[in-house]
Parts: sequence; C-alpha cells; structure tokens
Amino acid sequence: MDKDAFLARVDRYHRDGWRLAIINTTSILPAEGMDGGAFDISWSFASDQLIEHVRERVLPGEEVPSISTSFGAAFLYENEMRELFGVNVTGMALDLKGQLYQTSTIVPFAPSAIRARLDALGRGDPAPKHEAGAKKA
Amino acid sequence: MPMSLFKRSPWILHYDGSSCNGCDIEVLACLTPLYDVERFGVVNTGNPKHADILLVTGSVNERNIEIIQNLYRQMPDPKVVVAVGACACSGGIFARAYNIQGGIDQVVPVDVYVPGCAARPESIIDGVVSGIAALEQKRKRSA
Amino acid sequence: MKRTVVPMGPQHPVLPEPIVLDLVLEDEKVVDAIPTIGYIHRGLEALVERVEYTEFGYVVERICGICSFMHGMGYAVAMEEIMAVEVPERARWLRLIWAEMSRIHSHLLWLGLGADAFGFENLFMHCWRTREEVLDIFEKTTGGRIIFSVNRIGGVRRDISDTELAAIVEKLQQLGAGFAATARIFETDPSIRHRLSGVGILSREDAHAVDAVGPMARASGIRMDTRLTGTHLYDRLDFEPVLETAGDCLARVVVRVREISQSIDLIRQAVDRMPKAEGAPIEVKVRGLPTGEVFERLEQPRGEVIYYIKANGTKYLERFRARTPTFANIPAMIKLVKGCDLADVPNIIMTIDPCISCTER
Repeated sequence: MDKDAFLARVDRYHRDGWRLAIINTTSILPAEGMDGGAFDISWSFASDQLIEHVRERVLPGEEVPSISTSFGAAFLYENEMRELFGVNVTGMALDLKGQLYQTSTIVPFAPSAIRARLDALGRGDPAPKHEAGAKKA
Repeated sequence: MPMSLFKRSPWILHYDGSSCNGCDIEVLACLTPLYDVERFGVVNTGNPKHADILLVTGSVNERNIEIIQNLYRQMPDPKVVVAVGACACSGGIFARAYNIQGGIDQVVPVDVYVPGCAARPESIIDGVVSGIAALEQKRKRSA
Repeated sequence: MKRTVVPMGPQHPVLPEPIVLDLVLEDEKVVDAIPTIGYIHRGLEALVERVEYTEFGYVVERICGICSFMHGMGYAVAMEEIMAVEVPERARWLRLIWAEMSRIHSHLLWLGLGADAFGFENLFMHCWRTREEVLDIFEKTTGGRIIFSVNRIGGVRRDISDTELAAIVEKLQQLGAGFAATARIFETDPSIRHRLSGVGILSREDAHAVDAVGPMARASGIRMDTRLTGTHLYDRLDFEPVLETAGDCLARVVVRVREISQSIDLIRQAVDRMPKAEGAPIEVKVRGLPTGEVFERLEQPRGEVIYYIKANGTKYLERFRARTPTFANIPAMIKLVKGCDLADVPNIIMTIDPCISCTER
C-alpha cells in the first residue's frame, strides 16, 4: 500500500469532520501466488447519514500505518487488528502490546490459522463449489 | 426442599464468565421485586469470603480460569457451585469457539446445573434452592 | 507526586461484567487508565467457519443478552440485503416495534444499574420492576424473555394480532405514565444532581474527536442517530433524537430517561401507521447461497452498531464482524476517567452504558 497517499486520504476525512465508524479486517486465505494469504482492510468513515470506505489489501508482515494521529479512537481497532489478525500496525497512540484480548489461540484470525481450522473440519476447499447454483446479489 | 424450611440465609457470589449477559440479567432479575429472592434471606454479595453459593454464568476461557478458581478458593467451607445457563453447563452455543474451554466444571466442582438459554428466573431460583439442599448435606457431613 | 496503580475489576461490585481498568492515580486523581478486556472474548466471529449462514443468526443473537433482538435483526437485515430479498412490510413494522421495545427495556435496565452505582437502590428496584412489564410483552409476543429467535432471514416468525398491538400500545402508555414519577426523580432529585451533575463532562468537540456514538454523543449535543437515515421504516415516523448539551453524567441519564417515552411514542406511531393487515405474510422463503458483502447499520439502545458480512457463495460465510456501540465508546470512557476523582470512576464507567460481552464478542 502507498502509505503517504493513504494517510493523506484519511486526514482529509478528518479535516472534513467525518468520524471513524469501523475498521474491519478480512483474512484472505492462502492461494496460488499468495502463499501466506492476505488481509483486506477497510477503514469506514461516517458523516451524518453517509458512510464511505477506504480499502487496502496488505500482505502479512507488510507495514500498516496507524491512523491514530487523525482519529484518536482508532487505537482499539488497531490493537485488535494486530492481536487477532497479526496485521503489522505501526505507530499506535496507545499500544496495548498484545494485552487486549490475550486469546488462547495465538492470532486466531491469521490466514494460516483459519486454514488450519478449516482443514481440521475437513473443509479443504473453501472456494465456492456450486458457483452456478449461487444466487447473485 | 421447600423454601419454608430454610434454616439459614444463603449468601450468593455471582461471577460472570464468558456470558452473553442474558443469564446475568436474569440472575439480577431474581433479586428485583417480581421474583425477589431477598425475602428468603438470599443476599447477593460481592465478597467471596461472605458467600456460601458461587453462581457462575457463562463458560470458561483461558483468562477467567484463574479468577473463578480464586473466588472458589476464597469461599469458606462448606460451599456450593451453581452453574447457570447452557454456557456454564457445557459451553453452550459457543462450546466450539476458539477461545472457549467449556463449562464451569472444567475448573471447579459443580453441584447444581441450571439449564436454559437464557436460564429463566424460576429455574435459577430452583437451582439456588437445590444448592441450599446440597449445602445442608455438606454441612451435616462435615459436622 | 507518588503514583499508585489501582487495578479495577474484573470482579467489582459496580461492574455487572468483567473488564479491567488499570487506574494510575496521583493521590485521589486518576491520571491514566489502561483497559484490558478478553474475559468474555469467545471468538464467535470465527464460528462462521462451522455454522451455516441459515443458522448463524442464533449465534449473532447471543452476542449480547440485552440487545439480542437488535443483533438478530441486524444479521437478518444484512443477509436480506446480500441476497436481495424483499421482506413483507408487516414483518418490517413488527421488527421496528420489537426494536423500540428492546430500547425501553434496555434503558430501564441501565437506569436501574446506574442508580445502584450511585447508591440509590430503591430506584434500581423501581426501574427493574417497570422493566418486567416490558419483558411480559416480549414473552407474550415472542415466547422469550431474553433470547427471542423471532427474526429469520426473510422476515419474522410470529405475527402480533391487531388487537394485541393496540393492547401493547395501551399497556406501554400506562407504563410510561407510571414511570413518569421515577423519571422525575432521575431528573430533579437533589442527591442525584449532587452526585452526577458536572461529573465526567464530555464536550461536544471531545465527543466528536473520540467518535462517541449513541446516547453518549447525544448527551454532548451531537445530533447523531442511525434512525435518522430513515432505514427500517423510520422514515415513516416522526422522529427527532433526544439531545442534551451538558455532556455530564446527569445529561447521559436524562437522555436515556427521555428516550424511554420517545420509544413508547414511536411504537404508538408505528401501530397507528402500519396497515391493518392481520394475517398478511410475515416472511418469504429464502433459497440459494449468498454472494457479496455488506455493511449494515442500526441504532441499538447503546448507539450505532455496524455489521460487516462477506459471503462467498458457499453455505458458510467468509467473514462476520460486529462493531458494537460500547466498542466505539471505550475511547470516550478512557478520556473521561482521566482527570476525575477515584470515587467518580464507577459512575463514569456506568454512564457509558457498557456492554462488555458486545464489545468482546
């Protein structure tokens, strides 16, 4: 991801008076050409009745800058991203150093962890099997 | 055992494990005017050293094992544990979630299991009454 | 000055649920607060790997036993959007009515716990006695007191007859009239004023800066309410959010007290304006496998909740995420606790109306 462009975009939301609504991370399972999987991260901002999303795809280990200089409340989402997903977030305003959840499974939402759980369930191939029968939204 | 035969006023310590709040609210509802267990001398205390009955709602995860054991250890003998709700009995709907270890009996001995999701106030009161019976038995044995 | 760290929680008389705040004190003043959660973290979002989307609603409902109806509704609405399902109008009206009833019972519950926290046990009992009347209506219409399972993707499971709806409105209006005396105590009693007025002030600017939501933001004068978006039929009702400007603990209490009568009125409006169509369909059959993603917003009693769902064309969802109002309000709580007296910490924590099981999921 282009960190400077990203931070500039987030800062624009801040200056225009938007609030941070949610930061969501979705793990993308390992696939060909992406052995370690990836993360789809979306930062959502709300203003009155509007909601807009900024989305980035990052690889495990890739640095994701904290947005807490613009949105102070981001630290909770960012600590969660690091603890539950293993996203490498840097520069958080309040770094809880892995003490937020202290889960028994280390990094439960890391792509490899999800892969392992699915394998244990015998669901080797999570990709859509019946694409033809799937109802399109 | 009918409530009229209570010999003593049992004091209750409530701890919320990994509960969804549902059973906790029903435990509190037992104390409020509609159900009002306080009229039988049942008192909700925050101090484990005052308590006879440990009422646990919700299941066990790694972080609260130590806390439940601590509370149990600090209670004076004889003591009784009542597991309230499906989660406390077995882990319930969350039994297979990654952070859940199972019911309360994984950590401390449980005397009474109260079923339900969420457990109804009537069954919680029934569970406490069964707990009192168990308490009386333990007291006789230790006497 | 010497600093002392006082750990508060996880088991504490004022906390209905476990959360830990490490309070850093200088004498009696709190200078810093570091939160630790995880005592109720179950990892239910990962259960999408095991539970099929048709049944995942039961898990979502159990995120929290207070907002269980709204969680079930949020999941159903979000899935309906992904699957492009047209829900019968009567089902949508019934959802709105149950949702507003959830707000009434949740606010009564909180007012009771709040009163207990500031040492007014009598008031606690009054609020909870009133709340039981709302639960009676819930039990009569859905079969449950806490977990209702009345929402399903495509509609609701139970209808309420038109005569029953009229009876509910009448009962709630009586409840509102009876509660007025209690409400007056909350708003005017000198001992409550003394305890809450001017305590834990969150200015409008600060509330915006820490992204507060729900009654927390409205008590600081921010006109913010997801119901204003007009979704879920709120556009058919006359609605203007309750606002206060003081931003202190008392303002947060007063906002919730007034929202109870507001919700009663919203239910009255809904029953007046919904078509008298007893026996009309309340659900449609939903077939097929969902593909797509959606962000869904609802106004829960504690504030805005956001669900994110991503479906990939299998019967298992790829991702489910709930950002609950308390999660959004924790930064505000930490901000308020800094600089207050140790003895005010319980009141400040309580007035954000924390729901920890929502927060940790």
